[in-house]
Amino acid sequence: MRILKGTGLFLLVAVVVIQFFRPDRNINKGDFPGAISKQLPVPSDVMGLLKNACYDCHSNNTNYTWYVNTQPVAWFLSHHIRKGKRELNFDAFGTYTSRRQLSKLKSIAGSVKDGSMPLSSYTLMHREARLSYKEKDLIIGWALKTKDSLEAAK
Amino acid sequence: MKTIIMATVIAAAALSACNNTNDNKATDTHNMAEHGNMMDSGMHNMDGKHMTGADHMGMMKNSSMNTVMNAYLQVKNALANDDAKAAATAGNEVATAIINVDVTGFTAEQKKMYNDVKADIKEHGEHIGSNGDKIAHQREHFETMSKDMYDLVKVSGTSQTMYYTHCPMYNNNKGANWLSEVKEIRNPYLGKKMPDCGTIKEELK
Repeated sequence: MRILKGTGLFLLVAVVVIQFFRPDRNINKGDFPGAISKQLPVPSDVMGLLKNACYDCHSNNTNYTWYVNTQPVAWFLSHHIRKGKRELNFDAFGTYTSRRQLSKLKSIAGSVKDGSMPLSSYTLMHREARLSYKEKDLIIGWALKTKDSLEAAK
Repeated sequence: MKTIIMATVIAAAALSACNNTNDNKATDTHNMAEHGNMMDSGMHNMDGKHMTGADHMGMMKNSSMNTVMNAYLQVKNALANDDAKAAATAGNEVATAIINVDVTGFTAEQKKMYNDVKADIKEHGEHIGSNGDKIAHQREHFETMSKDMYDLVKVSGTSQTMYYTHCPMYNNNKGANWLSEVKEIRNPYLGKKMPDCGTIKEELK
């Protein structure tokens, strides 16, 4: 019984202590000249879907919900967001070489098509980010069309 | 009180453990680079005949470029064998090798092309490296990487004859290309299912 009490107290204290180690948040004010909408034609319906299903991890601003203020959830998310932004940041799309832009558009279409994006761990918590078949087709169609027109312009 | 101190110590230990993982990662990459070079010298010995051609071709004398090409060819051969794990290992080697290319002696045009493809090739190499259980995904990245490699070799030249080969069937008959060191067709996109699908479009010397 005493051991149980000790362990319980220990865990409680550990949980409290880790709350003080907060990762930096992905919130950035400002105008991003490299933002994809400033570089390429993005229809408003596609933009809405991207913002809703992708921008939390692939832009300069994450729409945080309350539980991300708790650790270790925030550590886990911060890691994900950093990784996501490194792969693709819609707010920095214009800074990529044209070759990489093509490559990213191909990957957007590919990952939405095979269902690897949005991540299932993300859609589990964000039901609104799940994409219907129609919405997927909209994103895929846009990405491939944009890729073709960029290639033609080269 | 004792418990509180203990908890703090453990939390701090956990945090520093996190940092350690990052350090290890850095060392891994470093080792990978060494490994890449070792592989390279291995290829030289095995393939010495081809490599001696480098000098009179004049362009891709650069052994760091050969390291990139050798790693790329290993990815290609692994995919042709349906071996995703070997492709992953070689993919990581491509990623390390491409950023370590020595540009001394490159012309302005060669430098420009190298800077244009560098980030893209690195990224494709990393993705092939981290998807050792998803060969279809590796092949998607290999397709774009092959285009980058072709463009690079086109301006940098090559120490051994390369065959730019086309498979019309891959990706719902949209087709895809790859670079090969041999004339014989061994399809990296369809693997053992359709090993000899493809025709040589261009010979690069």
